Amino acid sequence: MKIRLESIRACLEGVIPGTIATRAADGTPNIAYLSQIEYVDCEHVALSYQFFNTTRRNILASPYARVAAVDPHTGAHYRLSLQYLRTEESGPLFERMKVRLAGIASHTGMSGVFRLLGADIYRVLDIEQVPGDTLPPPPQPCNLLASLRACTESLCGAPDLDGLLARLFDGLQTHFGIEHAMMLMFDEAAGRLYTVATRGYADSGVGSEIALGDGVIGVAARERTPIRIGHFTAEYSYGRAIRDNMARNGVDGIDTEIPLPGLADSRSQLAVPVMACRQLVGMLYVESTQDLRFGYDDEDVLVALAGQLGAGIRLLQQMQETPEEAPPAAPPMAPAGRPLSVRHYAENDSVFLDGDYLIKGVAGAILWALVRDYVDSGRCEFSNRELRLDRRIRLPDLSDNLEARLILLARRLVERDAPLRIEKTGRGRFRLCVRRPLELVDVPV
Amino acid sequence: MPDTSSSLLDAAHVAFITGTVGINLAACRPGGFPALSRAVGCRVSADCGQVSVLVGAAAAADVIDAVRRSGAVAVVFSDPPTHRTLQLKGSNALVLPPEPGDVALAHAYRDAFAAILAPFGFAEGVVRAFLSCPDDDLLAVRFSPSAAFSQTPGPHAGEPLPGRS
Repeated sequence: MKIRLESIRACLEGVIPGTIATRAADGTPNIAYLSQIEYVDCEHVALSYQFFNTTRRNILASPYARVAAVDPHTGAHYRLSLQYLRTEESGPLFERMKVRLAGIASHTGMSGVFRLLGADIYRVLDIEQVPGDTLPPPPQPCNLLASLRACTESLCGAPDLDGLLARLFDGLQTHFGIEHAMMLMFDEAAGRLYTVATRGYADSGVGSEIALGDGVIGVAARERTPIRIGHFTAEYSYGRAIRDNMARNGVDGIDTEIPLPGLADSRSQLAVPVMACRQLVGMLYVESTQDLRFGYDDEDVLVALAGQLGAGIRLLQQMQETPEEAPPAAPPMAPAGRPLSVRHYAENDSVFLDGDYLIKGVAGAILWALVRDYVDSGRCEFSNRELRLDRRIRLPDLSDNLEARLILLARRLVERDAPLRIEKTGRGRFRLCVRRPLELVDVPV
Repeated sequence: MPDTSSSLLDAAHVAFITGTVGINLAACRPGGFPALSRAVGCRVSADCGQVSVLVGAAAAADVIDAVRRSGAVAVVFSDPPTHRTLQLKGSNALVLPPEPGDVALAHAYRDAFAAILAPFGFAEGVVRAFLSCPDDDLLAVRFSPSAAFSQTPGPHAGEPLPGRS
């Protein structure tokens, strides 16, 4: 039976380093260890080009190579006959390999030595299994396809974005044993991602932001490609992204940094773009303290799940734009106690409650419009549709997910234990609940 | 002490390549695809002039065929904990039957290699599986190294060893 490349992907993880044989123009053989074999598709692999060495010289002279790879679970040993096609020096595959190589380098003590110059793409002409003993494959902790089915079925029943994300995290935990996950939405106008929901962290980190290109998540978002790392790498870690973020944000003098959540001892990471109609909606990110926790199959499953998620988010977003009939207005709350100072900085739409930072950007502008209406006219009931048309809020564009901003705002208010809350009252409708009198302070630009 | 005066290899090289290191070899039939295989042990002649690596006839069938036709061989030795790597090349390789002691050498090599990989989380059974080779299938590929290169990962990989050649 023909051995298919996708069925031996476990061998390509580099747990047991592969080797490559090439021949020089004069026929002299050469053999070298490989730091990385990347599965591209069922007919292609990419090898890392890091140095102009004999292997490199040889494949440019004669494009045929043989690679040996071993399954780290069974010891099954395969040889791939390859034909070199081309080298990519930028783009999604290159960036994916670059991040993964940084993880491999860090794991093998080669940080600073390994640097990706290119992704060498090879066609796989043939795969043979080398005669020898093999162990039975270890039992799988779960049937990924059955889990995917159960998880997607659950997503289908979500009434709104909040419910969709809750079902997503429940599904990841129940069906895939993934305990640490976060969902970030893409703000295209700002070129940034903001965290809208997380699971499995001491601090939720909701409202934290990262720029495209920052860390594993930012690179995966910029390149619109999933990135999976099996070992810790300082180069793409949160710590780095956070430091970079702070350096950038420190200049405006207003401390509006919400730390990104994340495992201090994260070892395996998988960042998957959530796309809808080829547009980036956000990023799904999962991580683990185990090395090599996520394999190629996990990546496939999360990419499939992210497709479902992207379509679901878009669909729910459209539904929220056609609000249900207004529910009967609740009897107005009677705010009591000392007034709450709500300070708004027009410069970045940041809002501070009694001097403590709450939120900024679009969500900050939304809150400011709501409290203004509340103070000016006593209004408590609002609809998504009117917010979208509200010129004070300056939503980046029509595709912006207003629902996500409201979720973010509602969660921040709960997390800060603010005497202000946002409660959903129906599809596309919500209520501002105010427990203390408000004292508004606007700081213009 | 071995007499290494006429050899490319000094005593330290010999100790390295006959130690518990990963061994892989490649050969090419003229005009053909490169072939490669793992080896399961290495011995060096008393004068350090000849290196023999042990392979399984079935697992290394392509390499053996290529060596028989061209005599050219490349062998890479790598120490998993340090990544120290050495490549030897030869152009006069021969495929020979095993010598007395080679079966024991292959057994000892497998035991030692499985032990050295254990701290890195490799199950002993997996290491033994990919190094498996029936005792009566063992062959030796013997050659005189004509070139030696350091291949420890990094920008200097591929440079000839200093001093000797």
